[in-house]
Amino acid sequence: MTTPVLSSSPRRAATSLSVLLPSVCVLAGAALAFLMFPYDLSFLTRIVIMMIFVVSFDLILGQAGIATLGHAAMYGCGAYAAGLIALHLSPDPILGLAIGAVAGAVMAWISGLILLRTHGITLLMISIAMTMVLQEAASQARWLTGGADGLAGITVSPLLGLFEFDFVGQVAFIYSVSVLAGVLLLCQILISSPFGLALRGIEGSASRMRAIGTPVYRRKVTVYVIAGAIAGIAGALTAQVTGLVGIEVFNFSLSADVMVMLILGGAGRLYGALIGTLLFMVVHHLAASVDPFNWLFVIGFMLILVVFVLPKGLISLPTRVTQLLRRT
Amino acid sequence: MKLSKLTLCLMASAFSITGAAARADTIKVGVIATFSGPNAIWGKQFREAIDVYVAQHGDEVAGHKVEFVYKDVGGPNADASKAAAQELLVREGVKYLAGFDFTPNAVAVAPLTKQAKVPAVIFNAATSSINKQSEFFLRTSFTLTQIAQPAAEWAAKNGSKKVVSAVSDYNPGIDAETAFSASFERNGGTVLEKIRMPLQTNDFAPFLQRIKSSGADTVFTFLPVGPATFAFTKAYNENGLRAAGISFLGGGETDETTLNALGDQAIGLVTAYHYSDVHDSPLNHSFVKKLQELHPGSRANMASIGAYDGVELIYRMIKAAGSDGAKAIEAAKGMEWESPRGPVKMDPVTRTVVQNVYLRRVEKDADGKLVNREFATVPNVPDLGFNP
Repeated sequence: MTTPVLSSSPRRAATSLSVLLPSVCVLAGAALAFLMFPYDLSFLTRIVIMMIFVVSFDLILGQAGIATLGHAAMYGCGAYAAGLIALHLSPDPILGLAIGAVAGAVMAWISGLILLRTHGITLLMISIAMTMVLQEAASQARWLTGGADGLAGITVSPLLGLFEFDFVGQVAFIYSVSVLAGVLLLCQILISSPFGLALRGIEGSASRMRAIGTPVYRRKVTVYVIAGAIAGIAGALTAQVTGLVGIEVFNFSLSADVMVMLILGGAGRLYGALIGTLLFMVVHHLAASVDPFNWLFVIGFMLILVVFVLPKGLISLPTRVTQLLRRT
Repeated sequence: MKLSKLTLCLMASAFSITGAAARADTIKVGVIATFSGPNAIWGKQFREAIDVYVAQHGDEVAGHKVEFVYKDVGGPNADASKAAAQELLVREGVKYLAGFDFTPNAVAVAPLTKQAKVPAVIFNAATSSINKQSEFFLRTSFTLTQIAQPAAEWAAKNGSKKVVSAVSDYNPGIDAETAFSASFERNGGTVLEKIRMPLQTNDFAPFLQRIKSSGADTVFTFLPVGPATFAFTKAYNENGLRAAGISFLGGGETDETTLNALGDQAIGLVTAYHYSDVHDSPLNHSFVKKLQELHPGSRANMASIGAYDGVELIYRMIKAAGSDGAKAIEAAKGMEWESPRGPVKMDPVTRTVVQNVYLRRVEKDADGKLVNREFATVPNVPDLGFNP
C-alpha cells in the first residue's frame, strides 16, 4: 500500500511494464505447466478458471474491503447465461463469455445497489441469502435450467472458428489462460488508475474518503459490477468447458472457498489471489488423491497455519522472512 | 531454456512409457464418487461394497488384474466430476468408469464416455434421462419410475382409494410424484392432492395436517435420505396420521444406514424398494456377512448393492471384451445374473437393470435392530420412465 501516488512522466515506461507483469508471469507459468503436466490439463484448466474467479473477488475484498460470502451469485449467473446462449442461440465461445460477463455485471449491479448500503455482518448475511434465493430459483425454474439435474448438453463451436475443443483439454486450457491473462491486465490497469487509488482509500477509511469528497457508495457499486462481470466470465468458462451447469454453481461452499483461497494467498494483491488459488487447488487435489476420505484435515491444517504465521497471506512470506532475519 | 524444454519432453515421454509398461495386463476402473463432506456416506458404501466383491471374487478376471482408482468429487459437482473423469481417462488410462452418486456428476461425463468409448457404470444416480445422454451408460441402481409405479399398482390393489402425494420439491421428487399419480389413477385410484414440500425444510407439521384433513387413506412420499426423512416420519406420528389410519407409502426413506436413528416411530412404515439388507437369499447372507467382517458396524444399503452389482457387471464385461469399451457395452446388453437383491437383467434398451421391486414393512428383528422386512414382490420391473 506504500506505492507512490503520483506518477511522473519518466516513470510511465516502468509503470506500463509493471502493468503487463502479472499477465506475462501467468503466461510463462502456464506454458511451463502445459509442457510439464500434459496429462493434467483438465485439472489445470479448473485452476485457471478458479484463478479468474478469485481475482474478481480480490477486486472487491482486497482492493475495496467489501467482504461478502455471496460471490458465487455472479459466477452462477454467468454460467447459466453462457449455457443458455450456447444451447439456444449461438455456440460461439467468445459470445458466450461476453454474455456471461454481462449477466454477472447485471446481477452485481442489481444486488450491489442493495448490498453495498450495508457492511460487516449484515453484508455477509444478505449476500449469503441472495445466493440461496438464486439457487432456489434455479432449482424451481426447471423448464429453463433443468433444475437439480443441471442444464445439460452444452456444446461450443471451435474457438475463433479454428480450434476444436479437444478430448485432452489443450484448447480449453490455452483458451482459459488467455482469458486469465486478459483479466489480469484489466485488473492491473484498474488498480493503478486513480479509481484504484480511491478504492484503496475506501478500504483504509471510508469516512475519510467521504470527507475529501469521494462518492464512496458509487465507487463501491462500480467495482462490484466490474468484479461481477469478471466472475461471470469465470462462470461462463466453466459452463463451456464442463458442458453442464448445475445448481451447485450457487453453493455457499463455493463462495467460502473463494474467500479461503484469497486469504491464503493474501488479499489485496493480484499475485496473492493467484498463489492462494494455486496452492489451495493443488493441495486439495494431491491430498484428495492420496486419501480421498480424510483430505479435509490437510486443508484445514494448512489454513490455520497460514493464518497464524502469515496473517497477510503467503504473498507476505518473503517480507516476513527478511523481517525475522533482521531481528535476529 | 531450450535444453530444459527438451529434458522435460524426454521426462514426460519416459514417464508415459514406463506407465504404459506397468499397466500392460492391468485394467483400471475409475470410481468417481463423494468421499468427503456431508454426502460422504455414498463413497463409503460404494468402496466397502467393492471391497467385499473383490474379497469374494479376487482381483483377477480372465488374466487381467483389476485395479480400482478412487476420485472424490465432494458432492453434486459437475465440473469436478468431468475433470476427474478426464484425468482418469487421460492419465490413469482407465478402461471403465464407475460410481456417480448424483445425476449432474453422471451427465457431465456423458460426452467423455462417447469420445473415449469407455463404459460408465452408474451405481446410484436415478434420473431416467441420464442413459439417453450416452450409449455408454449402464445403471445398476434403479430409477424413480421403476420404484414409484409398482408402488402405485400395489397400493391400488391393496385397498388404497384416495392418496395424497407429498414429495420434496426437486427433480427426483417430481419424477416420483408424476410416475406414482399417473399409475395410481390408471389403476382406478384418486390422487386428492399433490404436495411439493421445500427441500430445505424440516417442519412438516403443516403439510401433514393438510393431508390429515384431506380425507386421504394413504400418503405417498419421496424425500431425500437424511434429516428431512427423520422429521417427516416423526411428524407423521405426532400429528396423528398413523392413529387416524392413514397409511404411509414411501421409497428409500427407511434406508438401512439411517433406519436405527429413526427409532421405534419407524416401525410399521411401508416402502417399495429394490433392496433390503435382510432379503432372504444365501447370496445376500454371504454378502452382508462379508461386509460385517471387513467393515464392522457397516450396514448394506441400496448404494452398497448398486456398487456390488456394478462391479459384477464390470467383471463380466472384462471377461467378455477385455478393455474394448464398445464391445463391452454390446456384451453387457441382456446380461442376466443372480444378485444379492434377487434376479437382475441388464435391459438392452434402457441399459438400466430389470429387477424385482419389494414391498417392505419396518420391523424389529431378533437383535432389536430395525429392518425392512419384505412381504410382497413385484417381479422383473424395467425402467418404466425411459422414453427414447
